[in-house]
Amino acid sequence: MMSGIYKHLKSAYKRARGLQKPGKSLEIYPDDIFLVSFPKSGNTWTRFLIANLRFPNEQATFDNINRLLPDTTATPKRVFESMPRPRIIKSHECFDPRYPRVINVVRDPRDVVVSQYKYHQKIRKIEVDSPIEKFVTRFLNGETCPHGSWGQNVATWLYTSEGSPRYLQLRYEDLIADTPRELEKVAKFLNLPTSPELLAQAVERSSADEMRKMEKQQDHGLYRNSRKDMTFVRAAGSGGWHKDLPMEQAARIESAWGGLMHHLGYELETIKPQEAPEYAAFGTATNIPR
Amino acid sequence: MLRRIKLAAKRAAGLDLAGRHYAVYPDDTFLVSYPKSGNTWVRFLLANLIHPNETVTFANINHLLPAPGVITRRFLKTVPRPRILKSHEPFDARFKKVIYLVRDPRDVAVSEYHFDKKKRYIRADTTLDEFIKPFLAGHTSSYGSWWEHVASWAGARHGNPQFLLTRYEDLLTNPIHETAKIAEFLNIQADEARLKAAVERSSADKMRKLEKQDADKWTGTKNTNKDIPFVRSAKSGGWKESLPPSCVEQIEVAWYPLMNFLGYELQSQELDHKALPIWAKAGQST
Repeated sequence: MMSGIYKHLKSAYKRARGLQKPGKSLEIYPDDIFLVSFPKSGNTWTRFLIANLRFPNEQATFDNINRLLPDTTATPKRVFESMPRPRIIKSHECFDPRYPRVINVVRDPRDVVVSQYKYHQKIRKIEVDSPIEKFVTRFLNGETCPHGSWGQNVATWLYTSEGSPRYLQLRYEDLIADTPRELEKVAKFLNLPTSPELLAQAVERSSADEMRKMEKQQDHGLYRNSRKDMTFVRAAGSGGWHKDLPMEQAARIESAWGGLMHHLGYELETIKPQEAPEYAAFGTATNIPR
Repeated sequence: MLRRIKLAAKRAAGLDLAGRHYAVYPDDTFLVSYPKSGNTWVRFLLANLIHPNETVTFANINHLLPAPGVITRRFLKTVPRPRILKSHEPFDARFKKVIYLVRDPRDVAVSEYHFDKKKRYIRADTTLDEFIKPFLAGHTSSYGSWWEHVASWAGARHGNPQFLLTRYEDLLTNPIHETAKIAEFLNIQADEARLKAAVERSSADKMRKLEKQDADKWTGTKNTNKDIPFVRSAKSGGWKESLPPSCVEQIEVAWYPLMNFLGYELQSQELDHKALPIWAKAGQST
């Protein structure tokens, strides 16, 4: 009983000071822009890129990123209320009709699963010797995070919003291949002033090397109790799954989501696209009125 | 400040509405639909099926088959498991077992138009022509547009054995058969007599009577314009009489692949009657 009352008092105090994390209760403004993705799809890198473009006078770091480009589950409510508008907000949620404009970063699920597998080792959610087969099973079932499976999370955005002028879809792989080109798409979508110099500065300030350096120097709370022999900023590449993911495991992912992967331009290696669930019939995306 | 204290007190006592923020259990089943798609009817059907010895009314439906959006957190905690909960949410990854009820968007548009007038969400002199644009854009509902709603659920869950897609129209034409499918999905042993009784006790006529009796005891009808009934025609295809051709065309042009997929025949000859949304042919495993 006492601990219950204490809990209520504590949360009431936090509420009164605006210190609680808003999560899904975040009050959304009509000019908000959301940066969404399934976890481990390059969200943090894109977050740095966009923050560095949006705030060219303040380099994004692991210390200030929750203020510059806040996270619904990590940034206190009062920061959301006092920050300059339009706000750009990070979230891993599945489709939410309240989000006025959305940038969605998708990544090859074969790379995502490897990244999440290693990340969960780092944050001690699983043992370092835990077999990857087991992880793939949980990954396919959507049990490795509270945001649905990769297929569900991507499907809810793609199927509801593809073709809408309020929706920008980026592939992590394209961002890697030509960062300034993709970032320019973002700038256009956000109506941000841009020049080759500004783009270059944002890219430079968010480079993998730069982010690795900052990760070492900065004590960002999220990873405080994690393994220091593994890094948050890892390979920062695409196609790394060839090295870390056994072909049988890749095959399981392709047979579950091959159609969706093919639609996104991820080459299937264990089945032919014709054998994969077929997605080519999506004829009308551009007709979605928003 | 006073509002805050009141809210904090309500929270502490569990008297705030559960809304979207409540614990979902792995054995929960959700009855999900876009608004105005026959959800209340199916709620009555299920409540009558599960509680054959109780009289289901608008006054007790929120207790028999709770909607977390309108009941208190404290009450939700007392609901015995396994629970069946009603929801209008678009895709929610926490909902593992889902009965998804879908209805022809042309009928949904007409139904929502009348309901929004009843609720006084729109002016009494709003025309269907004026209503259709915001309806298509998803501005008439806090759950997104019909397309977004159906696409988020069917796209993510189609083909999954824990996802039962039920058409309102099939329930109307073949209520016993469709209710039997739902009962099987819920692992409820129901013989023909019990199914019949549930269907009979949830008929449109019965529900109209119940609405007259209890309109002020139910959140859906409280403080609304009583000249417009909540239980309206309870039919399918009503749009053919009441929806202007221009509105029909706009809906079909916007959403025809999804309508094809669901078997809602297009009026238009211009549109491809075979086009499907991309997930429709997919044997997704999740």
